[in-house]
Order: sequence, then C-alpha cells, then structure tokens
Amino acid sequence: MTEKLQQSSDRHQIVIEVKNLCKTYFMAGGLSQNVLKNISFQIKNGEFVSIMGHSGSGKSTLMNILGCLDRPTSGDYFLDGENVAQKDDTALAHIRGEKIGFVFQNFNLLMKRTIADNVSLPLIYRNVGETERRERAVKMLQQVGLTGYEERLPTQISGGMQQRVAIARALINNPAILFADEPTGNLDTQTSDEIMRLFCQLNRQGITVVLVTHEDDVADYAPRMIKISDGRKEFDGLRADYVKTVQKEQK
Amino acid sequence: MIYQILKEAWISISAYKLRTFLTMLGILIGVAAVVMMVSAGQTVQNEITKTFDAMGTNLILIGPGETVKGGVRGGRGKPTVTFADMDSLKGLKDVEAVSYVVNTAVQAVFGANNYGVSVYGTTPDYLTVGNWEIEQGQMFTERDLKSGKPYVVIGQTVVNELFGLQNPVGKVIRLKSQPFTVIGVLKEKGDGMMGDDQDNIVLMPATTLRQRLHSGFRPDFANIGFVKAVSEDKMEAVANRIEYQLRARHRLKEGVDNDFSARLMTDMVEKVRNVGFILSALLAAIASISLVVGSIGIMNMMLVSVTERTREIGTRKALGAPNRWIMFQFLSESVLISFMGSFVGMIVGVVLSQIGGIILEKEVPISVWSVIISVAVAVVVGVVSGLMPALKAMKLDPIEALRYQ
Repeated sequence: MTEKLQQSSDRHQIVIEVKNLCKTYFMAGGLSQNVLKNISFQIKNGEFVSIMGHSGSGKSTLMNILGCLDRPTSGDYFLDGENVAQKDDTALAHIRGEKIGFVFQNFNLLMKRTIADNVSLPLIYRNVGETERRERAVKMLQQVGLTGYEERLPTQISGGMQQRVAIARALINNPAILFADEPTGNLDTQTSDEIMRLFCQLNRQGITVVLVTHEDDVADYAPRMIKISDGRKEFDGLRADYVKTVQKEQK
Repeated sequence: MIYQILKEAWISISAYKLRTFLTMLGILIGVAAVVMMVSAGQTVQNEITKTFDAMGTNLILIGPGETVKGGVRGGRGKPTVTFADMDSLKGLKDVEAVSYVVNTAVQAVFGANNYGVSVYGTTPDYLTVGNWEIEQGQMFTERDLKSGKPYVVIGQTVVNELFGLQNPVGKVIRLKSQPFTVIGVLKEKGDGMMGDDQDNIVLMPATTLRQRLHSGFRPDFANIGFVKAVSEDKMEAVANRIEYQLRARHRLKEGVDNDFSARLMTDMVEKVRNVGFILSALLAAIASISLVVGSIGIMNMMLVSVTERTREIGTRKALGAPNRWIMFQFLSESVLISFMGSFVGMIVGVVLSQIGGIILEKEVPISVWSVIISVAVAVVVGVVSGLMPALKAMKLDPIEALRYQ
C-alpha cells in the first residue's frame, strides 16, 4: 500500500485543476442562484488543502463537484488529467469508485454490516473477489490502527473509531485524492485531534487530502487553504499567511 | 457481478428477519393456495377421466329421441330403438362392437340372503363396450342370447351380499321367484361417477330379461344402445352412418326429426372435462387474488426500505456504486423475497394437498404446474413489485441522499 502510494506520489503532478467553474441552481418560477462564480485553482499530488467558508458560501457545492457527485453548470474540471465536468452518471460513479475516497461528517457506515464489510464495500463495485476484499480490508484497518475490530459492528465502537473505519474505507481503492467533508464535526476535541493527526500521517505517506471545514482549529492542520466566500474564491495560499493577515487586520 | 448483487441483497434482507418473513408470508399463502386449488381441480378432472375410461371409450350412445307434441318438447321419450335396429349396426364400417341394454331393478335371493340389484339384459359384447372383464366362469354367448337362456353373470357386490365366501359359479339365484344359473363373475370396478355402486349388477341375455322379468312389455326395445368405434377419430363418421341407417330403418322422411339420439361419449367427456377445467381455473383465479395482495405487500415493504435506507443508498453511490447496481440490488431483494415465498408456498401447497388427498382417500397428482406457477409467480411478482422501489432507489440524488436524516 505505502509502496504503491509512493510510486504514484509525483509531487509536481496536478491531480485537480478547475477552470472558471460556475454552478447555478435554477428554481421554479424562473429564479436562479449562482452558487459558484468563476472558480479556478489547481491541487498538486501530495498536497493537503483545506476548503473553508461559512455556511452558504458554496463550499459544499464545490466539494460535491470536486467529488464527482455533481456537475458544474459551466467550466472545466480536470481530475487526474481527465475532464470530468460533463460526464454522465455512470461514468461519474466509475470515477468515484476508482479515483476518489470520501470521508463524511456523520461517517455513513452501514450499521448492520461488520467493520470489515464496511471497509471493503467500495471494492464490490469494482468486482474484486471476496478473499482479496477481506485481505485488503484487514490491511487498511491495520493502517488506521483498528486491527482486531474486523468482525465488530459500527454500533459497538466509538465515534472516533467509526471515523477511522470510514477513512479506511475511503482509502481501500488507492484513490488519487481523499475528500473529507467536516470529518471532525461529530467528534469531541481530543478525538478530532487524533483523526486530524491520522490525516496528516496519511498525507505524509503521499495521499492528497482535501478537507472541507468551517473550523479554524481543523484548518490549521492543512498547509494550504482555499477560502470560498459568496461563491467566489476569496483566498488561496498558505494557511499561515492567511492567519497572519487576519491577525494584522484585527490589530 | 450478479453473484455480488444477490449476496448484497441477501445480506440486506436477512438483516430484517421478521419483516422479511412477514412479507414473504403473503406470497407464501398465495402460492400455496393456487397450488392447492390447481391440485384440487386436477384431482377432479382425473376422477372424471377415470370414470369415463371405466365406462369405455370410443363409444356412441344410442337412446330415444325427443318427443315433440304440438310444439311441446317432452324430453327423451320412450325407447324407440329395437334390438333388431341395434343388430343391424354391426355391419357398419369402422364399428368394433355393438351392444344394448334393457334394465330393471329387482330383489335377488340366494338361500337365506337377499339383496336389491340392478339387472341388465344385454348382449355378450357388453363386456367390450362397458370395459368389463370376467374374473371367474364365463360370459353368456350369442347362442344363449338367441335362445333366452336363464343365465346370469354377476358383479362383486352381488357375490359378496349373496354368497359371502362361497363360490357362486354354478349356483342358482332367484329373481322375481324365477331361477337363474350363475355362469360367471365380473371383475370389480368400484364406484361410478355419481357415487353409485357399479358392481351391484346382474347381467343376463336381453331376451331372457324381456321374457322372464319384463313379461307384458313389448319385448324388443333397448333402453340404451352402445356402438364402439374402432378408434376415436372414426367416431364422427360412425355416428353419421348410424344416423343414416336408423333413419332408413325407421322410415323417417326428409325434414322429420330423428326419433332417436346418437351421442358421442368423447363429446360428453370433453364437456365434463371442460367444466372441471373451468372450475379449477376459477378456483386458481380466486386464490391468485391473495398473490396480488402479497405482491402489494412486497412493494410496500420495499418502498419503506428504500426510504429508510436513503443514506445507505447515498453512501453506496458516493463509494462508486453505479445506478444500475443500486437498482439491481433492490430488485434482487424483492425477487429473493418473492422467490423464497413462492418456493416455501409451493412445498406447503403440495404437502397440504397430499394430506387432503389422504383424508379424502383420493389420489392427488403432484403436477409440474405447481412448479411452473411458483417460478412464474416468483419472477413476475418479484420484478413487478420491486421495480418501482428499485427505480426510486436508482433515481435518488447522491447529494440529497447523503444529507437525508
């Protein structure tokens, strides 16, 4: 696993490139709302980026488009060199299964299935055999520090552990990028730190991580930050620079 | 892939055991009911066929015609076909055997025993047309018929009632105080279609019956005549020849109705069989209403399931499940439930109808129809009731689904 990640971790390769991304929601009665306005940026392989913004800023919409759950109204989105902006549902599902790992705020584990089943779930859609699924699940669980929990049910472990399971599940396909949508939103401070340290550790191993959050403490873990405000890109740079600017303004 | 989908579906439905079982129950009861009704219908049809086979096939029954007096149709009237008429049919093409019957009911006496019996005055060919066999002794001959010998051939019931364990052949019984010598015993046939005892029978030459038991009547009319054709497909032709022959013998002018009737046994069998078929179809139709109810149950359960598992569907989609996969998973769940219900229902239906057969002492066939019905129901009900929920699951927007609480 680690070996494979390092092979693919060419630090200069661009994983995500969005150009003039717009998203407009059309509502009944001819009303429309521009949620994303001309957003452009690049994310390179091995980066750890946070996308910040207040609620209603459009960061969730951006996240959905980046995660191939939604399509932009206009603009281009290159994922791993491929323009996926206007692909159909089936193609997007395939891309999600192959290149993207998701971690959600509320974990979204299947409560009636064992931890091992949950972790290996994405492999089912890629026709991986049962034995191999099991082996890979055990390895992934080891990587997130949950060896021995394979046969437990999600209800039998803590929230922090559940999120680790979700992370293991997100990584099992060796995705090009890992998306985390408010991954610590349902966790206490201490557990949040643990989870964030796990993300840092995975990032050091070469995994590209994109983190959506509105919490400064969480964003601090990511070196780079993109801030979305009212559908526009307000800031894109080092988190440290942003913090300095803000502190200056406050003085 | 199909194996994976089925496995996921199986795990999902087995996670809710009680709910799945209750949903299955609807289909189970429906299929069991249909299988039982089809078995019942087939049993009835088989019984009918058996009875007709016992009566003999390829038969044309010749009886009196309808009486019409001043526009009033009086139904079948007095016998009009004579022994001579019947004998004249023997020479017709494709006729295998001809026989006729005059009958009466009298008290038979042997020693201290007496028993009410049906007496058939007939011809030696009655064995052929009536599918009878001689168990012991012999049948009377054409010569006995001509000379009106006081010989009788008796059925098993008569043997049992009058003779018990004694050998009846050679013994003399009395009918209306007249002596008749038993020269043969018929093989047992069992109950007839109307539950009548076919073995309570005494056969004697028709001439003997007319002379000794019917004195006072005109002696030569047959109550009913039998003509056996050589094969089933020749029956129409034989019936036409009979009609031509009898009209000529009765000197009926053109335009005058037949004063006799010639009915094909196959037609009658067909009619009764049709009634049996309609009956079983009707029963099955009524039973299948419960199948409709059962399939609505599945649809209902699956719709609830899709709503309840919205987040799961969203998660699966986010993790790379194509829409088709989601649809097939939910469709498989309903087909699996329906399949299990049908399978168990089929077994229950077969077992219950066999138990019913044992209780009613009837042979109930286990037909391929039960299997065909069950499989067809499983597929049709499963797909029909699962399609709408499956499409609903397929169309869910993953973003909305993930947000669902």
